[in-house]
Amino acid sequence: MLLTDTTRQHQSALASYCRTGNLAVIPGIHPENIREYRRLVYNVVEDILRNAYPLAADFLPREEWEALVNEFFSRHSCQSPQVWYMPKEFYKYLAGNDHPVFEKYPILPDLLLFEWTETELFMMEDKAADYSISGDLLFSKLVLNPEHLVLAFDFPVHLKNARQISGTDKGKYYVAAHRDAEGEVIFTDCSAALARILGYLAEKPQTILELFHRFEQEYRLPLNEEQQQHIIRFLQNAYQHQLISGFKN
Amino acid sequence: MVGIGYRKDFAETFLAGTALNPDFIEVAPENWMGIGGYWKKQFAKVLERYPLFVHGLSLSVGSPDELDFDFLRKVKAFLKETGAVLYSEHLSYAKCDNAHLYDLLPIPFTGDAVKHVSERIRTVQDLLEQKIAIEIVSYYTPVAPELSEIQFIRSVLEEADCELLLDVNNVFVNGFNHRYDAAAFIEQLPAERVRYIHMAGHEKVSDTLIIDTHGEAIIDPVYELFAHTLRQLNRDVPVLLERDYNIPELGELQAEMDRLTSIKKLIRKEKEYAFN
Repeated sequence: MLLTDTTRQHQSALASYCRTGNLAVIPGIHPENIREYRRLVYNVVEDILRNAYPLAADFLPREEWEALVNEFFSRHSCQSPQVWYMPKEFYKYLAGNDHPVFEKYPILPDLLLFEWTETELFMMEDKAADYSISGDLLFSKLVLNPEHLVLAFDFPVHLKNARQISGTDKGKYYVAAHRDAEGEVIFTDCSAALARILGYLAEKPQTILELFHRFEQEYRLPLNEEQQQHIIRFLQNAYQHQLISGFKN
Repeated sequence: MVGIGYRKDFAETFLAGTALNPDFIEVAPENWMGIGGYWKKQFAKVLERYPLFVHGLSLSVGSPDELDFDFLRKVKAFLKETGAVLYSEHLSYAKCDNAHLYDLLPIPFTGDAVKHVSERIRTVQDLLEQKIAIEIVSYYTPVAPELSEIQFIRSVLEEADCELLLDVNNVFVNGFNHRYDAAAFIEQLPAERVRYIHMAGHEKVSDTLIIDTHGEAIIDPVYELFAHTLRQLNRDVPVLLERDYNIPELGELQAEMDRLTSIKKLIRKEKEYAFN
């Protein structure tokens, strides 16, 4: 290492000041201008997080949002060299530490995950899928769009304004999120059973009949006509909106 | 050649219209690597039309931390995939104590930092199998300096044997903030290493401080410093207009690019006249 401990310490002191606002003695600095670095760094981080989580930033009181941003950036060592990915670290930091803010605002984990999912799917690398556009929805093996995620929420953050969600809304909510050919991210509300059906399709292409059998075997529950039609309608809609890409060649 | 920093903020208007006609575009690899979907398609379209210059943000050549070789390999792949003309980075650090800061912090102007940074730049060049251009950054305070800024920069360029990205606005900003003659500073730079020039606007926030915002139009004194810079060079160098915030109508950016082009032509004529 060619860098002396002294230079390293000075660099570390400046970086630490930018993250925490606590300024150690650094020789030769301009005491007023050094503040600009703290301001600029904080503004970049806050701006990126606010853009990634506009609903959460709006939902929380301003002071609490800013306190969270400050806490995250001062305590967490951001690992991604790509700044657009940093908001995921924010979510993981809060979720990983079972942060007290989640106790105060129980919908916050779902809200953050909901918002991050949109960014992640919008930005994620293209995933190739081997499928044909010709086939029969009822009889061909269906190929699920690989650019998708299935989420489980405790609160309906995908259905209601965050401020209108109350404790009585608590339950189990399932959402399929996918990216269509135009790059748009689409969220589809679904039941636990439909989420499971999508899980089967994520494993491998299957026909609707195979999906019925798989479900019935797993849950030891025969699907009646109405339930089968409900699944078929869901899959037709999924195909129309490109959650199902097409059919196995 | 006069290019423009390609931004998502104006990507759609840019591709759909004719208001902006750069000779090339520049992007930060961090914003375009490893992505897909809509932006990948838009990027592919723009790459069909324009040569690409790549200007990094996160390599952190001045960091006391280890170089991020995994990231560097991704940058190398990106440069290859996109057929990039050039890769440049900042003479600063953006990561320290294993944490990214997402901004450009000033390196202490010290002898050991010269050796440290130079070695890292050489390593980067070896891995990328090409020379890189290093940008003089704007800074608002020195940090434990033992050398002058010009000594520091000249030493790094020499020891790293790299090229120079001369951001004329940054030199103007630094000259104002640290009370030195920006034109004289540029005269002391090794002109033969200047590979690329950046031009941008800034914001004067007080009588003693300018912040390098890239959010305003270029001001006349910076255009004058640009002309002065070109007079120091004996060859044509690509020039980039940077505008990151407060994006105006694209026609206004084109007008700035046109002015840069006309200054380049003017200086070229001056030189031809002097030579003949």
